[in-house]
Amino acid sequence: MSKKEPVIFVIGWNACINCGVCVAICPQEAGFISPFDTIAVDRPCDIACLLCEDICPVSTITHKPA
Amino acid sequence: MPTSQYDLVIIGSGPAGSTTARFAAQQGLKVLLVDKRQELGAPIQCSGAVSRHALEEVGVTPDEEFIHEPIYGFGIYNEKGERTIIDYRRLKPDEYGAGEGQKPLGYVVDRRRFDRYLMTQAERAGTEVWLKTEGLGYRPNGDGGCEVFLRRFNQDITVKALVLVGADGLQSQVGKWAGLRTHIKITELASCLQFIVDQVETEGLLEIITGHEWAPGGYAWVFPKGHGYAEIGLGVIPTMTDKNAQWHLDQFIHQSFFKERFKNSRILEIQGGGVPLASPLRTQYADNLILVGDAARHVNPITGGGIHTALSGGQIAGHFLAGFLNEGTPPTAQNLEGYQNHWLEELGNKMWKLYDVKTDIFRKNDIRERDALLYQTMASYFSPHSEYKKI
Repeated sequence: MSKKEPVIFVIGWNACINCGVCVAICPQEAGFISPFDTIAVDRPCDIACLLCEDICPVSTITHKPA
Repeated sequence: MPTSQYDLVIIGSGPAGSTTARFAAQQGLKVLLVDKRQELGAPIQCSGAVSRHALEEVGVTPDEEFIHEPIYGFGIYNEKGERTIIDYRRLKPDEYGAGEGQKPLGYVVDRRRFDRYLMTQAERAGTEVWLKTEGLGYRPNGDGGCEVFLRRFNQDITVKALVLVGADGLQSQVGKWAGLRTHIKITELASCLQFIVDQVETEGLLEIITGHEWAPGGYAWVFPKGHGYAEIGLGVIPTMTDKNAQWHLDQFIHQSFFKERFKNSRILEIQGGGVPLASPLRTQYADNLILVGDAARHVNPITGGGIHTALSGGQIAGHFLAGFLNEGTPPTAQNLEGYQNHWLEELGNKMWKLYDVKTDIFRKNDIRERDALLYQTMASYFSPHSEYKKI
């Protein structure tokens, strides 16, 4: 598997319903979370599997290059 | 400040955590229950259906404080709208109904009030409760106990415990602290969205709508929510659709065989969440640590229901830990395996069987075949003759 480029997640807070499903699917180690019960948005994700984007019920997670 | 010493520190005051706390405290353990929220149960991530049996089994009296509406049965629909009604008011009228001497089959509860009620019961049993308290980590300290690192209203606090109980839900961090394999597959986590609505009639039944067309990988539901309100929701498996749950819910409301029924619906609340349609965690314990409830994935993989399993699992954990610690058994991983074995015997083995049933359905590649099997399985699951109906 090719190594993926790290990303920083961007959450559209206007649509976020704080359901926590992005954290539930996230394979990162403990603590990759924001104070609003979402995945972290203040540091790079080096796994970049993007499962959080796929599972978000309101599709409000995107990313930019880290 | 001297470090406080507890028998149990429980992280997360949902149904699993507070029930563990209540049974442990009743049997003399010194218990600290913490939750990071200011209001338990919120934001709501659950539809709130629970059987009366599940409440009674753990000594919870159905109380108006948390009940939205009583439930008397089920309506299971296939993708075309054909349905099987399992109404216990008709099947067993001597037992079930709204009249005197009759009882409901179950309830739809308000998770905010329900979780608070259960926490209150734990507190009255002697549990100490801290809200606005987040768990940051833990460390076994070599003398048989562990240190638990907490942050309460911005203050960092370390407490000592014999056992840390992770009851911190599907997003569990506690399991990750212990290095347990908590990761859930994308094919087994349903992405759910629901609306609380006005102007949709219900008849005391939990309605479950199957079919790939409406909810690929999961199902849709219409539940009574009290005061004339209803709850319309669905869960989808992301790998089985290109669209999100919101799109599917919109389709279900506006394009399905229920579009006439829903045409005047007005949205009062929007809620979402993840529902694992997965097996329980294979390892739910480590040195000085166990997991309960959603954190241990104690969720029914057919229905996605998690309240009953959280309550029962909490009772099992609370009893086990009280017996265990009152005898002075060292809480090593090896000894705490007893909790999991006990849980498997009482509940978990049945959940593993349900997982196999569920897996067989979604392994079918042919959509029509899969739809037919899911409809048939749901209809028989809720029938009075189901061998599983008490999960």
